[in-house]
Amino acid sequence: MNNTNTLTTDLVRHDSAGLWRLAWRRLRQDKVAIASLCVVTIFAVMMIASYMGLIASHWNAEVAPSYAPPSLHAVTNVANTKVVGIANPQAGPPVDISDIDPLAPRYQEWKERTANIAHEQTQHATSLILGADKWGHDILSKTIKGSEVSISVGILAAFLAVVVGTLLGAVGGYFGGVLDDTLEWFYNIFTSIPYILLILAVAAVFSRGFVTIVLILGLTSWTSVYRLVRAEYMKHSERAYVRAAEALGASHTSRMFKHILPNISHVMLVQYSRYVVDAIKAEVILSFLGLGIPVDMVSWGSILAETQEEVVIGKWSQIIAAGGSMAILVTAISMLTDALRDALDPKLNE
Amino acid sequence: MITRLSRNFMYKVFALLLISFAMPVLADPLKVLRVSIPKAETGFDPERLDDLYSSDICWQIFDTVLDYDYLARPAKLIPGIVREVPAAEQNGRVYTFRVIPGIYFADDPAFKGKRRELVARDIEYSLRRLRDPKLNAPFSWLVENKIVGLDELVEASKRKGKMDYDTPVKGMELLDKYTLRITLKSPDYNFLYAFAFPQTAPVAREVIETYADDTMAHPVGTGPFKLVEWVRKSKIVLERNPNYRGAVLDTRYADMNNEWDREVIKSIGDKKLPLLDRIEIYPVEEEQPRYLSFLNKEVDILDTMHQIYAAQVLKNDKVVPSIAKQGIRVFQEIQPEVTYETFNMENPVVGGYDPQHVALRRAIVMGHNRDQLIQVVYKNFAMVAQSPIPPGVIGYDPTFTAQDQDYNQARAKALLDMFGYVDRDGDGYREQPDGSPLIIQYLNQTGLQYTKYSELWVKSMKNIGIRLVSQQEQFADLLRDQQAGKFMLTDSAWIADYPDAQDFLQLLYGPNSGSANRGRFKLPAYDKLYEQALRLPDSPERNRLYREMCRLILPYAPWRIGVHRAYLHLVQPWVHGFDRHPISHDRYLYLDIDVDAQQAALKK
Amino acid sequence: MSMTSFIIRRLWQMLPTLLGVMLLIFLLFNWVGGDPAYILAGKVSDPALIASIRKQLGIDQSYLVQFWVFIKQVFTFDLGRSWSTNELVSHILLTRLGPTLTLLIPVLLLETIIAVGCAMLVAYVRGSLTDRIVMMCCTVAMSISFLVYIIVFQWLFGFKLGWFPVQGWTNSFWVNLSHYAPLPILLAILVDVAPSLRLYRSFILDELHHDYVRTARAKGLTEKNIMLKHVLRNAAIPIVTNVASGLPSALVGLFLLEFFFSIPGLGREMVVAVSNSDFPVIKAVTVYLAVFTMVVNLLVDLLYRWLDPRVAYK
Repeated sequence: MNNTNTLTTDLVRHDSAGLWRLAWRRLRQDKVAIASLCVVTIFAVMMIASYMGLIASHWNAEVAPSYAPPSLHAVTNVANTKVVGIANPQAGPPVDISDIDPLAPRYQEWKERTANIAHEQTQHATSLILGADKWGHDILSKTIKGSEVSISVGILAAFLAVVVGTLLGAVGGYFGGVLDDTLEWFYNIFTSIPYILLILAVAAVFSRGFVTIVLILGLTSWTSVYRLVRAEYMKHSERAYVRAAEALGASHTSRMFKHILPNISHVMLVQYSRYVVDAIKAEVILSFLGLGIPVDMVSWGSILAETQEEVVIGKWSQIIAAGGSMAILVTAISMLTDALRDALDPKLNE
Repeated sequence: MITRLSRNFMYKVFALLLISFAMPVLADPLKVLRVSIPKAETGFDPERLDDLYSSDICWQIFDTVLDYDYLARPAKLIPGIVREVPAAEQNGRVYTFRVIPGIYFADDPAFKGKRRELVARDIEYSLRRLRDPKLNAPFSWLVENKIVGLDELVEASKRKGKMDYDTPVKGMELLDKYTLRITLKSPDYNFLYAFAFPQTAPVAREVIETYADDTMAHPVGTGPFKLVEWVRKSKIVLERNPNYRGAVLDTRYADMNNEWDREVIKSIGDKKLPLLDRIEIYPVEEEQPRYLSFLNKEVDILDTMHQIYAAQVLKNDKVVPSIAKQGIRVFQEIQPEVTYETFNMENPVVGGYDPQHVALRRAIVMGHNRDQLIQVVYKNFAMVAQSPIPPGVIGYDPTFTAQDQDYNQARAKALLDMFGYVDRDGDGYREQPDGSPLIIQYLNQTGLQYTKYSELWVKSMKNIGIRLVSQQEQFADLLRDQQAGKFMLTDSAWIADYPDAQDFLQLLYGPNSGSANRGRFKLPAYDKLYEQALRLPDSPERNRLYREMCRLILPYAPWRIGVHRAYLHLVQPWVHGFDRHPISHDRYLYLDIDVDAQQAALKK
Repeated sequence: MSMTSFIIRRLWQMLPTLLGVMLLIFLLFNWVGGDPAYILAGKVSDPALIASIRKQLGIDQSYLVQFWVFIKQVFTFDLGRSWSTNELVSHILLTRLGPTLTLLIPVLLLETIIAVGCAMLVAYVRGSLTDRIVMMCCTVAMSISFLVYIIVFQWLFGFKLGWFPVQGWTNSFWVNLSHYAPLPILLAILVDVAPSLRLYRSFILDELHHDYVRTARAKGLTEKNIMLKHVLRNAAIPIVTNVASGLPSALVGLFLLEFFFSIPGLGREMVVAVSNSDFPVIKAVTVYLAVFTMVVNLLVDLLYRWLDPRVAYK
């Protein structure tokens, strides 16, 4: 019995593996697809390098004056004028508080220790290809570091959405009946509430953070994959190979995930890469609404949120850097998705 | 032939249509002022008011009992609808208001076609209404625990479930139709300021009862303008109130060294006010369109410009050529306001009055890079605050300088080292003296501006080896947590309600813990001085007490005292009489417009 | 199954969904959302005032009672007043709908016309270089963040070139439409056309595989004729469905534009309501939009069956 079970599984696997091999062969001939794949790979490498701290690890170091323009040469320190803000011409000598200060007995020690603390000199960048932001951070490093968060948000949120959608869709489509009705009810509720309201609602529940964003985007966008997967499962559960597996005594779980799942994996993959794109774009809107990542992190969304007050004052570096990288990556993923869909579903090709 | 003719005709019609679309306001010969404000209004029922901008608009529609002189600095109380500013009788316990006869409300259906005169009873009614339990008026504190008999009446009304507007209150006697005498429980020399708030502006009882729940949309006052159109959160239109009694500019307190004052006197002089026919107010909440619409001449006054654009307008205290060329005038104002971060004095990590915790707070304060806050966030348009008291209020002492609030990394580090806040596990961050981790939680609001504050705190603390975590919350949650004391360090700002230092010093008064005193700072010596000052009129003696209170808080550092922000207000060249008031802000009563110049500029 | 019984059954099915929507929104905002009393109390608040406000709003009662009140409100169409401005919620819905529709209707009309037109063109020359270039442009246009579009184009068209006003709104529909709406409408179309174009192209290409196209070709009809007469008519079904089912979410989906151009629409109102914990407004917008969504879905189904009688009422 065990043997036969493996046999059918292998059969199905072989079948789907064939599909993938075929798709890959088609994909290789598509120049646009290959170019897109290269771009995506470059971004992935950049992201991993940044994650491992190989590049852009000092994105939040002050390496230049505020809003330093782009330049290839060393930024010379602007004259460090000590005038800060609006001066008070009538300022008197510091108020003496030694008679009421609990720290007064240790003033002498405090003074000595202060004198011994070395003054740290800030390191200035040797080149700033994209210039600096308001704090004097290197925009190039910031954009690279930002890709790390944006891409991981995309990957994880899409993963969560696909997992949730697939699980619910599989259960509903496979079993049908009351279970399916309940899930359909749930689906109807989620699709009846406007997406943006759902996002705001979920955001209000969790406290701010990276995980929250992934949860918000994942939990609010599982519906379309649910629909597709459910339809596929309804179709497949009646097919001969599933019937055969049933006759051979395969359990429900085994039929659902070992037999049917590989056969619809291409649907999931295409949907997944669409979700990645959606999530990367949605993160920007979340940042605009003040529901983005915490302040000690940086993402393309948080950079773009900053630019709403920078374009008017003529600072274009950040919007070009973050908006541009995002556009390039998202374009590449979208094109790859299209190519992938065409390769997996040759019917659509003219 | 015919086709050619008709086509020609069509072109002309089309061109005309285009022109009419492009300039819809051109046909209007009235004096129309267009203003942009940075926050959406909520409504115009005086007693219900909370936000700044709705209050400012109410100030154009309603007459306050007492008013501020347009030109006097610091702000000076003048009579509004009363004959004179009441004198403090019986050591500041009794005040008598004498209403000027012959002041009429704007016409309204609620008056059933009759002219309605303003009488002393209306003032009394409005004060009661501020305490109506149903209203939960945000500014009810103005008359809380002050007037003899009023609090008791409110308690009785609460039990009955309905505010009692008729039973006489002992402390509010109507001597005759035009005279109201108010008796206080204890002397209060700042009490009169309560009558220079739009929140206490007299309203007519008939109007309130007629519109019941809709009073926010039906303001009926005795002021120079009345509300004629309201597209909520988008456009507010005021027009001249024909029943307004008229006013003339008082130039007695003008400062002739000030170019703005000179301009006001030259252009307004002794003309009968108001001069404007119509005011259109546009709330624009995004900064980019707000700034651009002013440069596009879509509005005449840009109220409270965002600091980020300051460098586009002013460089080295001079208006930049591109702006100056257009004749735009820039009003620079240090508002009577202070920004600060307050520690929770009851928190086990950062609170406490013993040397160790005092040292931690003082180090955090000195480690916070306030210089960068001013340079980067406020674009140098801010002044270092030395005490809670801002310039422009009575009791401000410009010579008071607090060295221990200055940014000084070395001193901060030395202090932390001295008291055992050192890095024991080598992760770059210090631990508490007992070895447990030291994590400061900084609580503020969501939003771009607040994110900048957070970024600066995280950076500054990292530089002195303290781990600070920023938590940004929605406004409602922030207020809840601040009030419940669920924070270690939180961001705040206070703008003067009235021009007296007391308004700021109450923020650290022990018995105000949990409400205005969010950090729950309690220092008996401070509280004693505060109570003493309450019983004194404005005098050198009281100023001495204020200064001493400012000194007392320095060693304990319950606050990171921030800055006094400078605001820029941009005025198109055809607007005359502009002089931003520190408390009552923009008063359209005193403004004039050169319509020809306005229209000429629009045509360009 | 007949059409009438189909409609009745669908309407009946809406009830549990509506109840679910209400429960979800209630749980999310009432239970775990911010407490509005703290906002309403103003800058000097004491616990007594907070308690008094909570009592007046009815949020001191048990969740069960509050939910019951909510259900009653929904079915009696009496959602009370906004907590933050005391404005009638029904008034909010009615007055904010106008500005949103002033944007939305031109956007949907123009976008559909442009997208269908272009989709027909590229489908006609499918596989050609033009087709590929247009498709690629669409993908690129879709990849730029909406926020970037708004920030840059508002600056460019509103200020640098000065073609349109930057902000404003009046009570006059025509002034709004002619004066204040064009730039936001243009931006919305710019962003929405690309994905629609791609979608509609795929609908049209789908149709081209059908037998009737082959028959028509065999009959000697020109490709142009086939496209305009047969393919467009059949592709109209999914296109109309797509436009209609996108309508409910579009009602609040323009909030970014409404923010940047200070348009008092439904989307901006709702985002503000969430940040103020203005629960009556949130409840009303959600519930009625949910009902609207369900009704639109039903209508779309009916339309679909009317256009394509092969689909059975099941």
